[in-house]
Amino acid sequence: MLGLLRKIRRTGRVAEPAPPSPVVDRSAVAAELGGSVQIRHVDAGSCNGCEVEIGSAFGPVYDAERYGARLVASPRHADALVVTGPVTRNMAEPLRRTYEAVPGPKLVVAVGDCARNCGVFAGAYGVAGAVRDVVPVDVEIAGCPPRPEAIVEGLRKLTGR
Amino acid sequence: MSLVAVGLGGALAAGVLTALAAVVVPRRVRSAVAGTGTVVTGGAGVMAGVGAMTGSSLSVALPGLLPLSGVSLTLDALGGLFVAVTGGVAVAAGVYGISYTRSHGLDARGVQVVFPLFVVAMLLVPAAASVGTFLVCWELMALFSLLLVVAEHRHRPEVAQAGRWYAVMTHLGFVAVLIGLLVFVAHAADDSFPALREAGRHLSPGAAGLVFVVTLAGFASKAGILPLHAWLPRAHPEAPSHVSALMSAAMVNPGVYGLVRVGFDLLGGGTLWWWLLVLALGAVSAVYGILQAAMSTDLKRLLGQSTTENMGLVLVGVGAAGVFATSGNRVLAGVALAAALLHVINHAAFKTLLFLAAGSVLHGTGARDLDALGGLRAGMPQTTAAFGLGALAASALPPGTAFVSEWLLLQALIHGLPAPGATGGTAAAIAMPLAVAAVALTAGLAVATFVKAFGVGFLAKPRSAAAGNAHESPPAMLVGMGLAGVACVVLALLPTLVLPAVGTVSGVALGVGDPAVSGAVTVRLAGVAGALSPLMLTLALLAAVVLVVGAVRVVAARRARRAARLWDCGGGPMSARMEYTATSFAEPLQRVFDDVVRPEQDVDVTHHEESRYLVQAVEYRRKVPDRVERRLYEPVLAAVAAWGRAGRRLATGSVHRYLGYGFYTLCAVLILVAVTR
Repeated sequence: MLGLLRKIRRTGRVAEPAPPSPVVDRSAVAAELGGSVQIRHVDAGSCNGCEVEIGSAFGPVYDAERYGARLVASPRHADALVVTGPVTRNMAEPLRRTYEAVPGPKLVVAVGDCARNCGVFAGAYGVAGAVRDVVPVDVEIAGCPPRPEAIVEGLRKLTGR
Repeated sequence: MSLVAVGLGGALAAGVLTALAAVVVPRRVRSAVAGTGTVVTGGAGVMAGVGAMTGSSLSVALPGLLPLSGVSLTLDALGGLFVAVTGGVAVAAGVYGISYTRSHGLDARGVQVVFPLFVVAMLLVPAAASVGTFLVCWELMALFSLLLVVAEHRHRPEVAQAGRWYAVMTHLGFVAVLIGLLVFVAHAADDSFPALREAGRHLSPGAAGLVFVVTLAGFASKAGILPLHAWLPRAHPEAPSHVSALMSAAMVNPGVYGLVRVGFDLLGGGTLWWWLLVLALGAVSAVYGILQAAMSTDLKRLLGQSTTENMGLVLVGVGAAGVFATSGNRVLAGVALAAALLHVINHAAFKTLLFLAAGSVLHGTGARDLDALGGLRAGMPQTTAAFGLGALAASALPPGTAFVSEWLLLQALIHGLPAPGATGGTAAAIAMPLAVAAVALTAGLAVATFVKAFGVGFLAKPRSAAAGNAHESPPAMLVGMGLAGVACVVLALLPTLVLPAVGTVSGVALGVGDPAVSGAVTVRLAGVAGALSPLMLTLALLAAVVLVVGAVRVVAARRARRAARLWDCGGGPMSARMEYTATSFAEPLQRVFDDVVRPEQDVDVTHHEESRYLVQAVEYRRKVPDRVERRLYEPVLAAVAAWGRAGRRLATGSVHRYLGYGFYTLCAVLILVAVTR
């Protein structure tokens, strides 16, 4: 216990200084959420590259939670879905159901090139399409995989902070 | 002629006539005749018991009936209570048996003749007034019940094994009672109870202690008390369900009766350590019994283990009464004994209901394994309601039946802390808080157990085709369950109907004048500042529930609502295999009580023959063995088997050798005679 406290004291704060706010104009739905966005992540067929970056974005260095975004464990608790990967045939229906399970007002963020336009998997036999072909998408974050800074920036557009 | 004489005579006559009628009538009507006759027998028993509890008593001596000892019967208030309970259970089980035996192929002569005789034997045990009569009735009760336990031995091999366990254990118990009472009789003028009562006053402490401990072993084995409980969860579930109800609700009670009769009445109260022993046995049995029940996945076995728990609670009450009585607090002793006796009545009511409902499940689905049941609400709504009521009655929560008696028991235990300097003060000061803790733990585990039994067994989705095709039982079985259910409701809401009589019985048994409990709607205790009104409590609870539900409705109506699919992780319809099973429900409890129950599990991984990195099959087995049985019974059984194998060496098959044995034995006897003469 003491060792842990000592470690905390010695390490100090590792979070990067907050970059200037990217918010220009928020959508009406995002504004309704009042700066606190609970997020459910759905892996619709990703290679897990984006998951590593999302994990990093919510880690101590980039610390997306300080801007009001928070990952939750069920779509019933969520305001927004973060979807990664091209939507595979097996995940198309579960993704639709997950979207229906989120209480309104709700938002969808497509993270990574695969989620935006199927990336290198475009036209593959197991792929049903991009995320916007299955559920309506509000924000897209480009990159393969997107850098954590990009993800944080995308999420700040929702929280407005 | 008094009510008692008419009732007891009527019960005897009805029982024997029913047995005779069951021999002669054709198979078509045999179940109906035997069932109706049993109902009449039980009804007459209730009449006799109630008559005896309300003041009149009966003494009959028939010296010519049984050689050497004769038969003498006396039904007093204490015996009356047990006769009334047995009679009541017999009425419900009799009605139920009419349909149950017919549909389970049990309408052959054997079962139908023995069933009413079993009831008669049980009714006579508390009415016996001499050691000879008592032991004969006790043995008849054991033999008739043994015949009923093995009724289905042709269909299932486990029945025969259960029958063997039961036969051996019940006879060891009988031998213990026999030895204890014979030692007692050796100090008395004859074997009648009044003579024993007289002798009990002058018995030396050592002899009295010996009599008490040896008879306690016998009575405890009948009541399924640790460590002599091993037969109970075997024999009770394997018997036909109406017999299970009669055994589990009525046949364990003579154990309590014998303990109270011998300990308080005949031996006159005894010393402190007797009752501390009873208290400890009761507390350990209660906790261990309910823990085993919480782990159990077999519906009827679970109920059998819960019988051990409830008899343990009764023994806690009896033991506490003894502790209070020996330390001079007779009023509180009356309250404790009244709690124990009320729990006997309550347990009989809800255990009858639960076993009959379990029998109905067996009838409707053919399964007893909780992991294969579920979803019975749709197919058998009445049985589900009956079991739900029984489960509520068995868990000590406010509108339930067991709540009243456990509340009384806790009141007695909490107020049992002795004044400083009283005799036996230290022992009681240590024992009472521990007993309170044991009763509280038992009550909590009982709730978990019955939530499991009801929730997993009856609600959710069916886990097997048999449970999915469940069908409701015929009317006679429903009527039997209904009778037991009405008894549960009455005992839960208006315990004051029976409590004054129970209080009087416990007062008489302890030699206190005033009844321990009084009150018309509110239960008031003598000498203790405690009062309870179950009816008002239930009404208040109902009002609170209605209020909360109404408020939620009103608030919810104002908000916009959206109907959505049940969240199943988006994966599609949830199957029955995703449900909680009885095993998984009990898993956290099993983890908590890991040191007590010691579950055995082993995992077998079979690898692919080409590579150790590829797994072909994983086999997982888990068992929760009875630890007492493993530690205590298995070494004894192994030793007996070893002696048997050693003894076999004596019998090699050579005739010369056997003639030699005979010759040498004869010589030895002759020498012995010549020397000792």
